[in-house]
Amino acid sequence: MASLSSGSSRENKAGFWKKNSSVPGSIKPVYGAQHPPPQSNINMPSGRQIKKDEKAKHNKKDAFHEFENKTSDAWDDGDDDLIQMANLKLSLKDVHTSAKVVLDNHSKKANSLQKQQLEDNAASNNKGLNSPQSYNSNHHHPHHYHGGPGLGVRLNSGGYQPPKMTSIRYVTNTAPDREATKIDKFKALFAEPSLDLSDLRQLCWSGIPKAVRPTAWKILSGYLPTAADRRQETLERKRKEYFGYIDQYYETRYQDLHEETFRQIHIDIPRMNPLIPIFQQLVVQDIFERILYIWAIRHPASGYVQGINDLVTPFFVVFLSEYIENDIEVENCDLTELPQSTRDLIEADSFWCMSKLLDGIQDNYTFAQPGIQMKVNALRELIKRIDAPLFHHLERQGVEFLQFSFRWMNNLLMREIPLRCTIRLWDTYQSEINGFADFHLYVCAAFLKRFSEDALREQDFQGILMLLQNLPTLHWKDKEISELLAEAYKLKYMFADAPRHLLLKS
Amino acid sequence: MGTKDDEYDYLFKVVLIGDSGVGKSNLLSRFTRNEFNLESKSTIGVEFATRSIQVDGKTIKAQIWDTAGQERYRAITSAYYRGAVGALLVYDIAKHLTYENVERWLRELRDHADQNIVIMLVGNKSDLRHLRAVPTDEARNFAERNNLSFIETSALDSTNVESAFHNILTEIYKIVSQKQIRDSPDDDNSPSSNVQTITVAPTDLKGQSKKQCCS
Repeated sequence: MASLSSGSSRENKAGFWKKNSSVPGSIKPVYGAQHPPPQSNINMPSGRQIKKDEKAKHNKKDAFHEFENKTSDAWDDGDDDLIQMANLKLSLKDVHTSAKVVLDNHSKKANSLQKQQLEDNAASNNKGLNSPQSYNSNHHHPHHYHGGPGLGVRLNSGGYQPPKMTSIRYVTNTAPDREATKIDKFKALFAEPSLDLSDLRQLCWSGIPKAVRPTAWKILSGYLPTAADRRQETLERKRKEYFGYIDQYYETRYQDLHEETFRQIHIDIPRMNPLIPIFQQLVVQDIFERILYIWAIRHPASGYVQGINDLVTPFFVVFLSEYIENDIEVENCDLTELPQSTRDLIEADSFWCMSKLLDGIQDNYTFAQPGIQMKVNALRELIKRIDAPLFHHLERQGVEFLQFSFRWMNNLLMREIPLRCTIRLWDTYQSEINGFADFHLYVCAAFLKRFSEDALREQDFQGILMLLQNLPTLHWKDKEISELLAEAYKLKYMFADAPRHLLLKS
Repeated sequence: MGTKDDEYDYLFKVVLIGDSGVGKSNLLSRFTRNEFNLESKSTIGVEFATRSIQVDGKTIKAQIWDTAGQERYRAITSAYYRGAVGALLVYDIAKHLTYENVERWLRELRDHADQNIVIMLVGNKSDLRHLRAVPTDEARNFAERNNLSFIETSALDSTNVESAFHNILTEIYKIVSQKQIRDSPDDDNSPSSNVQTITVAPTDLKGQSKKQCCS
């Protein structure tokens, strides 16, 4: 109940935010001492060492509270099925059908509400709030209505473009008022002198509204400190540091020692997102090459490994969204329309957040990729326990887990789901301690289990492998990710908090 | 069992190997789906596709494993060689380095694959005539010295892609059918055991069949 009262005081403190809550890019830059990197307190089924005090914190009771807290947010989002999924053994298919009806109605209602609100705003809202860097105008553009001002100039400005299937755009089904309330909560939290990271994690677990995602990610990843007054200073220092590396190292890319690294990066960048226009822009490709090259030569134990390039994309897209018109599709934005200084900010922030991510999974990319081998084995053990029919089917047909799940681990499922879903998934990964390593495993297990029936229908090796390497997720949106996360959370709750449960019987 | 796909006389596992960016994935997609992407995503781990062809009135199903080219992956991808009876070792005719690395790939096969595996050297991107960095004769001579079949292909304009796969599958078929190893895939539906039952030819026979396969 203490949390309730502190919550409401936060609301009061943050009253001034509310006026501006619908304006994107208005996030105050943030400042401070480096927050210590999050410590692991989740145990891999493979029996990682647990610190005693960490363990004590995570006894059953706490775990339950944590679970309750996290899922209670689901009510805010209207994801009622999330809670059901976590508690009951419902067939996903059944939930799908009924949820689809509800969500369809809901989103129709939400869209009409949102349109209404946007029109109202456009009429009333023209007061200030352009921060020097944030380049967004105060005009609101309901999606697809007209080309309009702002940065997000469409590459093909010839008029209406139908949305693409590969759209990055973050799609919410929540009503605007709920979304606004959630945004207010975030802004209140950001404004606290010393932000409680567990509060932020709890708020972010069930998805972060687009408007506050860039700041939330920077804090969650450990890039920005929890102390509000030190964030701006940190940003400036880290950005300077990054461009110091560029000055110092980037010219070494053609030297014998590093030639191979740069050659590989240079081969991979142009082909990383062939269907998304923004990634065909040379200026964007150059940014990715610099980020990856600098990271690679500063981490010689792994260096650049194919797949790491994908991991920059969500950061880049999210941080770019901070500087462009709310309703312009990031994938069609022309980066050369942004001032160099803004592009530099996006580049440096993407570099540091990607570095933080990779710090947690570096053994995925060192020689022989032990992190991946370990996770593939853990996935196998987990499936053996939670989906015996599927496990035996795969065994009988000679399908090895490495053959399909190597890529799941190496690219964090980014090759398996649309980019917008990855972004949503990362909201949660960054809210979990060691999310990209430990929680990812449970997500993979839930992911495989979800296609269990389809795999069981395939009667031979080639059928199964073709299915598992080309899973039908093109249409996936937040709803599917929420279901996946609920299932993954259930698995984590069952196994990670009781690692011996898995170890002894496997 | 139920699908048409399962009706085949032989199932051969073939791996595609070679440096990153030489066009392995496009050779695979051109052969199995008649598709080509100028910018296709890098392969992570292994990707997999099949296609059946007819040789001597027999249906041969090729199970083709497309592997990632980057060095770092080799520790893991070497596991994919198990049971392979053929390998297409691909380089880019416009990038000499990818040709120089062929020797390393051959060592890789010697270390991890069956010693009787049939190997074909494939110079891809033959459409890039103006950028050619590896003369055809040089590569052909190298192939002969090393007992490899040789062909130049273009996944982009389709040149020789069919031939490359047909030649290597035919070559494997000849070796296997002459050996008359037990060849009834219906007995055992597991592909890994199928491919492992096929023992590829003694060396004398192998050398003989190599010559006829060069184009």
